[in-house]
Amino acid sequence: MTDAHFFEIENINVRFGGLHAVQDFSMTAEKGRIHALIGPNGAGKSTTLNCISRFYVPSQGQIRLEGQSLLKMPAWTIPGLGVGRTFQNIELCMQMSVLENVLVGMSPVIKNYLPFFPGRRRGVIEAEAVRDAEAILDSLGLLADRALPAESLDYGRQKLLDLARALAVKPRLLLLDEPAAGLRNQEIAALNTLLKELAHERGISIILIEHVMPLVMGVADRITVLNFGQKIAEGTPEEIRRDEGVIEAYLGKGSHAAG
Amino acid sequence: MPRTAHMGIAALVLAVLVAIPVLGSVYVVYIANLLMMYAVLAIGLDILLGRAGQFAFAHTAFFGIGIYTTALINNFTGLPFVLTIPAGAALAGLVGVAIALPATRLRHLYLGLATFAFAEVAQWVFNNWEVVTGGANGLRFRPSNTGFMEITNDIEAYPFVVIITLLMIWIARNLNRSKLGRSFEAIKESESVALASGISVNRTKAIAFTISAVFAGVAGGIFTLFQSFVHPDLLGFDTLVLVLSMIVIGGLGTLPGILLGVLILGLLPEVMRDLEVFQELIYGIILIAFLMFMPRGIWGWISQRAERRRAVESQVHD
Repeated sequence: MTDAHFFEIENINVRFGGLHAVQDFSMTAEKGRIHALIGPNGAGKSTTLNCISRFYVPSQGQIRLEGQSLLKMPAWTIPGLGVGRTFQNIELCMQMSVLENVLVGMSPVIKNYLPFFPGRRRGVIEAEAVRDAEAILDSLGLLADRALPAESLDYGRQKLLDLARALAVKPRLLLLDEPAAGLRNQEIAALNTLLKELAHERGISIILIEHVMPLVMGVADRITVLNFGQKIAEGTPEEIRRDEGVIEAYLGKGSHAAG
Repeated sequence: MPRTAHMGIAALVLAVLVAIPVLGSVYVVYIANLLMMYAVLAIGLDILLGRAGQFAFAHTAFFGIGIYTTALINNFTGLPFVLTIPAGAALAGLVGVAIALPATRLRHLYLGLATFAFAEVAQWVFNNWEVVTGGANGLRFRPSNTGFMEITNDIEAYPFVVIITLLMIWIARNLNRSKLGRSFEAIKESESVALASGISVNRTKAIAFTISAVFAGVAGGIFTLFQSFVHPDLLGFDTLVLVLSMIVIGGLGTLPGILLGVLILGLLPEVMRDLEVFQELIYGIILIAFLMFMPRGIWGWISQRAERRRAVESQVHD
């Protein structure tokens, strides 16, 4: 591990009371690559993601983005470093419009101005922000819904809006917590294309938590498998597919034949 | 609403504002001044409660700081109100920051209780710090000064009250549509979204708290333009409940709604003169009824209906 990684987690530990949710976990992620994090429910995947975006603080270990320690920064400054995230249970400003949700997400990239008065500077900054937000909505097929309140969207579109908000921080590192959960097959296929485009064409480093295996196997460059807070395997999709320990964790002992 | 409708409403409001001092009695002008003061007070409370979703009830304390500061400067200097009112607002804002920093670490009911306790302490100070506030005897103060003349009655005060009120409404409207205004709404709706969007929840709460306090301070300054005496009884629970009722009935977080709420609750005592003893009871019943049956207030109800009609129409056109 001599060469510097774009993003690295080094031996983090998280404890909730008596539960050791994440144990000595390490992983790396690279620019333009999709790194999937899989494992049974309660394995510590979301906990790890929450450590990266600083919703939780690990009791030990290091998390670094381009060599800079994220654990030393106040939590609210993390998105400003280019770390966008979605939530397992959609988190949106439900009363606000679709466009406003993206504008909220753009907070770290919109310059500050005096909010009490109109003015040229303010006009230019806001107009530019709206243009950028509309471009994001357009790329996700949400532009027609821009003026609707977020609560009026169907589940699949709310998931997309959650992703739009994560993209609004102009992420270099994108954390996705089960973006395909509850989506129809057609929507999952579109997500597959989108994730590849974000990573391979825009160079975003993606950490993807997902249970929908066809999507994971289709897009991931590398896969890390967690079970009971520990890493049990890491490798390419092909390697993970054949890993005995992984089959056991997912399907239980003696299921080799079935796997 | 189409642009012509906006222009129509603006023209109507302007006509009424001009008609009041021309056609109305001195008493009508006094009521108009009072309502505009309540409007600024209510808009300030709504920024914190309706926009930023913080259950803070220290508003009357900041209102009081604005009144006493402006009044005392009037008594000791002949400075014009363009300096004294900002001074009162600034002191209210400063105390606001000082209270906000610890208070924003609290949430929901705890924040409500802590800020309510602060308001009670402030009222106690207004009641007992006799050398400064005149204590329970109240404080008589010299009229405000434009720099050229003293403002000695309601009709002289009226144009200045109108200008300050319109200025504060305009500022609130700009604020609501700004990046900061969106941050207020974001911390109200979801602290997770705020954090994931690079918004400091504590800092944003503190800013909302401070701006809200400044509005209350300005309302206190408006009070000194058309009044000459202040008593601590004004700065208690009754006033808080009245202003709260105004914003809940009008519609939390909606500027036109707040103004509607101020108009309705401000005029209610005038049309129900004979029922004055029941006033508190009536406010209470109205407040509960609205919370139960129309939680988004009158304006929320109106815009919901308008939205639904638009949705139906667009379906028909499809």
